[in-house]
Amino acid sequence: MMSRTVSQPRAAARRAPIDHGRWVPALFVAPVALYLLVFQGYPLVQEFLLSVTSTSLLSPGQQTYVGLDNYRELVFDPEFHQVLRVTAVYTVVCVVASIGLGLLAALLLDGTFRGRGIARALVTIPWAAPPVAAALIFVWMFNAQYGLFSHLAQFFGFADGGVNWLDEPSFALPAILITTIWQIFPFSSVVILAALQGVPSELREAAVIDGADRLSIFRAVTWPTIRPSVALLTLLITVWSLRRFDVIWLMTQGGPLGETNTLVIDLYRRAFVYLDLGRAAAVGIIGLVVAILVTLVYFWLTTRAEKAAGKR
Amino acid sequence: MKHNSTARTLAVLVLLGVAAFPLYWMLVTSLTPSERLFDDTPNLLPTLSQIGTYAAAFTETSLRQWLVNSLIVAVGTTVLSILLSVLPAYALSRLTFNGKLLLGFALFMTQMLPEAMLVVPLYDIFTKLSLLNTLLGLILANTAFTVPVVTWILKGAIDGVPSEIEEAARVDGCSRLGIVLAVVVPLIAPTLAAAAVIAFFHGWNEYVFAQTFISDDALRTASVGLASFVGELSTPVHTVMAVGFIYTLPAVVFYLFVQRYVVAGMTTGGVKG
Repeated sequence: MMSRTVSQPRAAARRAPIDHGRWVPALFVAPVALYLLVFQGYPLVQEFLLSVTSTSLLSPGQQTYVGLDNYRELVFDPEFHQVLRVTAVYTVVCVVASIGLGLLAALLLDGTFRGRGIARALVTIPWAAPPVAAALIFVWMFNAQYGLFSHLAQFFGFADGGVNWLDEPSFALPAILITTIWQIFPFSSVVILAALQGVPSELREAAVIDGADRLSIFRAVTWPTIRPSVALLTLLITVWSLRRFDVIWLMTQGGPLGETNTLVIDLYRRAFVYLDLGRAAAVGIIGLVVAILVTLVYFWLTTRAEKAAGKR
Repeated sequence: MKHNSTARTLAVLVLLGVAAFPLYWMLVTSLTPSERLFDDTPNLLPTLSQIGTYAAAFTETSLRQWLVNSLIVAVGTTVLSILLSVLPAYALSRLTFNGKLLLGFALFMTQMLPEAMLVVPLYDIFTKLSLLNTLLGLILANTAFTVPVVTWILKGAIDGVPSEIEEAARVDGCSRLGIVLAVVVPLIAPTLAAAAVIAFFHGWNEYVFAQTFISDDALRTASVGLASFVGELSTPVHTVMAVGFIYTLPAVVFYLFVQRYVVAGMTTGGVKG
């Protein structure tokens, strides 16, 4: 509004900015940079240094340099191979199932129907529940004798007595997956639902008039709009799954027989159960490298997709 | 068409049932008399006369103290995260400076660090700084994990503020800091609220640091207090479930009220990336 009357000083301001140049960014960024250095950077370096030592939790001051021994032994350790396998299965199923379920929920909740607002709100309940509380309730539901899932298994004739869900090697990981997917699918649903609002309704109507069936409308109109969101969800849920601790730790602590022992759980067990800080740190570093590789692949794929889309 | 909408209604109901059932089951379990918890057929409805369990949850456990501690940690994490994030978010969005790329990269990297991985080195640092066994220590540790997310979301919102608005203030002689605080912050208030909610939830939910860094019973947070019941047998199941429900319900209700801001904030900022 005032810009017209003060065009003279404005031009001057452009030549000599009021903030005196380069100090401003430094001052703006310094606190957070310092903070992250102290509470993320320094601990990360410490963790890396630990990983090339043999150190016990009982005497963390006494560190013996062992070079890459921790890594070498992990690479040839069949139990660690199991850790990698469990982590891969857990992560992939989390990603596929929670995005699949989220997409289904989003498509159901899109559009106009009575009670839409309430339905959209209620579906996010699991996402809002604290993970420790989710673990607690699912531990109770998976209780061998009195849990709801055991009652259901008996009711439908799958089992005569109770089922030891969390102590049974073949059931523990699925039980943990069910808990996790229940917690995170609302996030996918909310993100996809927001993306669906960007689907041009004229395009959809035109497709309907042209007599296109639902599947081809989805493929031609809906999917291209939500694809970037789905790609980003894939990355986020992958990284979160590689990081998740509380639910798994509280439900099984990595057992039975290591069938729920993901990288993070393995790291924690090695540090606080086996007191082997050096090996634990090596597990952590390997997990970090995996996460970084996944992210790089994601960026490589998305830029390639963008380029391909640009060419067309 | 009619048939179609019935099928949809049914599907929506199933979906909502799946989403809400575990919490409902927590409530039902907390309101079931002990002796009937172990019946052959489960009780599907709450016994309202059992409401006394909720009083017992407060008298038989330290629930009140746990909730207060969790609230302190959550509020502290929220305030500190916002204070630390606004200026770097602005810098990342508007300013050019050396190390901008590095900062962006560092913020992204922290998303990949599991809390459990940093427990050991942070324990060491906190011992040296006398922050072990303090709620301030938990706030500092949590904030290290929320700051990157909050900064990123706020940067997204600031990207959407037209720079002409700022220029007018600059002509009036406002400093950069003045511009950020007086012009930019009010414009991104909804996103700021969303980011605050995300930080709050992180603090309210956090478990592994609270479990490892706190040894004093009086400083336990609700997540650790509740976790101490898992696999433990001396506290009655319905009391445990009442504690869990009291810890969960405020979070869920709060989230239902603020979620429209969170969704808007996440989709304009962070998630679009």
